Amino acid sequence: MHVKQHETILAMQANRRSVLKGAAALSALAATGGLTALSPEARAQAELRTQLLQVPGVGKGSPTDADWQKVGELCLNATKANVKEGEFKGVELTFMGLNNQNLHNLLFRGFLKPWEAYTGAKINWIDLAQADYNARLQQSIATGTVDFDIVEMGAPFEGDVCGKGLASEMPDWVKAQIEMDDYVGYLKAPVGTWNGKTYRISIDGDCHTFNYRTDVFSDADLAKAWKDEGHQGDWAVPNTWQKVQEVTKFLKGKKVAGQDAYGYLDPAKGWGGFAFYFLESRATAYAKHPDDKAWLFDVDTMKPRVNNPAFVRAIQDVIDALPAEPADQLNADPGTTAFQQFLAGTGSMLAWWGDVGSMAKTSDGSVIGDTVAFSILPGSDDVYNAKTGQWDKLSSGPNFAPNMAYIGWGVYVMARVDSDPVKQKAAWSAAAHLGGKDISLWTAAYPSGFQPYRNSHFNIPEWVAAGYDEAFITSYLKSQSDSYNHPNAAIEPRIPGIFQYYSVAEDELAKIYAGGSTAQAGADAIAAAWEKITDQIGRDKQIELYKASLGA
Amino acid sequence: MTTALPETAGKMHEPLSRSVSEPSAPTGRALIWAASLGLAAVVLWQMLFKAGAVAVGFENWRPVLYAFLLWAVAVGAAQVLIRGERGKHALFVLPAVAFTVAMVIFPTFFGLYLAFTNWNLSSFTGPQFNGLDNLRSLMADAYFWNALLNMAYYVLFVLVQYAIAFGLALLLNAEIRARKFFRVAFLLPFMLSPVAVSWMIGKSLMEYRFGPAATLARHLGWENPAFFTTPWIARLSIVAMDAWVWIPFIMILLLAGLQAMPKEVTEAAKVDGANTWQSFWQITFPLMLPVSVTAIVLKIIFQLKLADIVINVTAGGPGGATDTVSSFIFREYRDRSNVGYGTMLAEFYLVLIIIFVTLLLKFVSRFMQRTN
Repeated sequence: MHVKQHETILAMQANRRSVLKGAAALSALAATGGLTALSPEARAQAELRTQLLQVPGVGKGSPTDADWQKVGELCLNATKANVKEGEFKGVELTFMGLNNQNLHNLLFRGFLKPWEAYTGAKINWIDLAQADYNARLQQSIATGTVDFDIVEMGAPFEGDVCGKGLASEMPDWVKAQIEMDDYVGYLKAPVGTWNGKTYRISIDGDCHTFNYRTDVFSDADLAKAWKDEGHQGDWAVPNTWQKVQEVTKFLKGKKVAGQDAYGYLDPAKGWGGFAFYFLESRATAYAKHPDDKAWLFDVDTMKPRVNNPAFVRAIQDVIDALPAEPADQLNADPGTTAFQQFLAGTGSMLAWWGDVGSMAKTSDGSVIGDTVAFSILPGSDDVYNAKTGQWDKLSSGPNFAPNMAYIGWGVYVMARVDSDPVKQKAAWSAAAHLGGKDISLWTAAYPSGFQPYRNSHFNIPEWVAAGYDEAFITSYLKSQSDSYNHPNAAIEPRIPGIFQYYSVAEDELAKIYAGGSTAQAGADAIAAAWEKITDQIGRDKQIELYKASLGA
Repeated sequence: MTTALPETAGKMHEPLSRSVSEPSAPTGRALIWAASLGLAAVVLWQMLFKAGAVAVGFENWRPVLYAFLLWAVAVGAAQVLIRGERGKHALFVLPAVAFTVAMVIFPTFFGLYLAFTNWNLSSFTGPQFNGLDNLRSLMADAYFWNALLNMAYYVLFVLVQYAIAFGLALLLNAEIRARKFFRVAFLLPFMLSPVAVSWMIGKSLMEYRFGPAATLARHLGWENPAFFTTPWIARLSIVAMDAWVWIPFIMILLLAGLQAMPKEVTEAAKVDGANTWQSFWQITFPLMLPVSVTAIVLKIIFQLKLADIVINVTAGGPGGATDTVSSFIFREYRDRSNVGYGTMLAEFYLVLIIIFVTLLLKFVSRFMQRTN
């Protein structure tokens, strides 16, 4: 869970109302047979989960290292089932990960301390700032100096690591220990796998969801103006990008509660490659056909699809919407759109990761805590079929394709441990301890840097019992759960150098948005630059890895 | 040297002198030869191994570094053996020389090699020599030439910074109240990191919604005070921030020059009836030319490296209008792991800068000669 989410809980504090709510939820759980009908093992499990959520407990301040160690200790049973006490005595492992917000590796240290005490292994740590992470990883790989046994890594880098045979294949006992079946849909294979082999222990989930302002879409004056101007349908939250465009243009020049009203917020400035995710979120409903797993490149040739009619339409949408967006939008990166605009009350629609929802109620700069709600990304009335070159209207209605942007953090074991069976088992045991089902409940509910990623995380009564506001957490979690489990989710291509493609696209998009090029010409330039990157990295190998990442 | 000193004074050095055995030049030379051959052999062997010509070799290049360190130690020892006490003096310099060779000279030449490869960190094949391809790409790279054109604009604005700095230096040189306070206060922006300035000014004061500068601009009648969305306003905003940091630097150089200027000259001019403007234009300004030229040249060199403010505030936008060569190289190298092309850009820019600064110095040398 992200820090701000935890602050949300702290802000609520354990007041009488929330205690009553928690009690009510527990009673509800009991009444539905949730607790009483459980087997002794399941009951112990449920008790453990309740106990975990009390460390340190809502309203008891931020968790400390002692709390992390306590969580590690409570969750050690899974390890004990597979490893004898002192089995890894003398084994030393090196773990490379992040130190963002003093979490990630620092949290792992606490979790793994009881594991070290029990198994006898010792872990050395390489802590990296987010900004240094990519360069450090790439340089280790490129110069053949991989000096770590376990790595915390985002799925987009799998192509660079797993694709190059640098990762260790997950043993079956690990799959059983971490209960992989509990993963949300999109985190199951092929994500985390290459050529049928599993490498990744997921510890996080990531996707873009649609954040919108409930006050704007229930405003009576706007509803009247909407009708008066002859728009079709009622004044409501758009569920297609066509409607998002219409609403955005409609809101130009309008006022809500005396303030200038704006519709959708596009980040027009680059963000180290991450801003491209936002064009993707606009494009997936147009470009991700339910009959085709691929949407960013052709599978057989790696020919970019970024200049096909679907992406060009999304780019054109941004160009058309920008005049109706705030005057400084050309200098707005995703950080600006989320934290300086949307949370500060500017704009009424935004695609972003879960952070916006979790910060809405607690951030000092947020004024929208009580007026924000969430859904999956909008769809499109028609979807481009890259195979036929036609726009299809689906009989099922609009096409939805939530963007699984970045996919989330995972823990990977490096192949260099494979030559030593004891070290290999130790490394996988440590990784499995961090990726266990129970420990993940704690990371989803407390500040950890990770979001919910298992089906068991979406058990609302458990959250309410822990002190969350039911309406808020239901809307928030549902938008994520519906995205994660969507059958037509657009999964990021896990090919080597994917951020290079994004970064070069950002430069060209900035030029297009500033009027330096048309949507088609700019998209063609992006495609040409992507072809060059593919040739530079190695086309045949990229095709092979792209297929492997799609599970094709 | 110690032999020339009186015996009592020489005692201080005695232990040092005694520890030196008789110089043994042949042993020293043999040591250098042996160490050099050893280093060359290790480098050559590792190169052959990496090229696939031999089957056995080191897993990485680290042992070559160790061989270099051993070579440096051997060369140091050989200096003492060959040249005795003077060789010992050389030991004070040799580590610095070895460090400079390892950290500056070697990387510069290795960079030249990399500039002619297609090395992308994600590539499966590692660095491959690709001839002049990077240079050809550079010649056709609209982003690079756009950034270079922006650099020309940025360099021209140095003259504006200089004019303002001169005015401030004159003020601070005059008999004004709280002069010492202002001298320190005016230096403060220079003490700040440009990254801090980017956030304090570019992303806070000039922020479109809540920034005080934007609010003031609204009061003054600018309806949409977006400082970074139209090319020339964005460029001017970047230049203004850069000026805020760097004007104190130019000002302090000029102030030093003004203070070193003989007062008699201006006083004599006053006696002769020159007014303030004549005194400045005919006397102060010409006398200050050498200092001015030094300040401007230094500032131009700093200006050519402009990157931090741009990266933080506009990321080169809108549409490349504020991009600098350094910020473009940063994106190419760091965001795109394009080591070969990024290095070519950097080396090409280095050559351009060397040529430009050489010509500039040649051009300004006639002004500098007035000091003589």
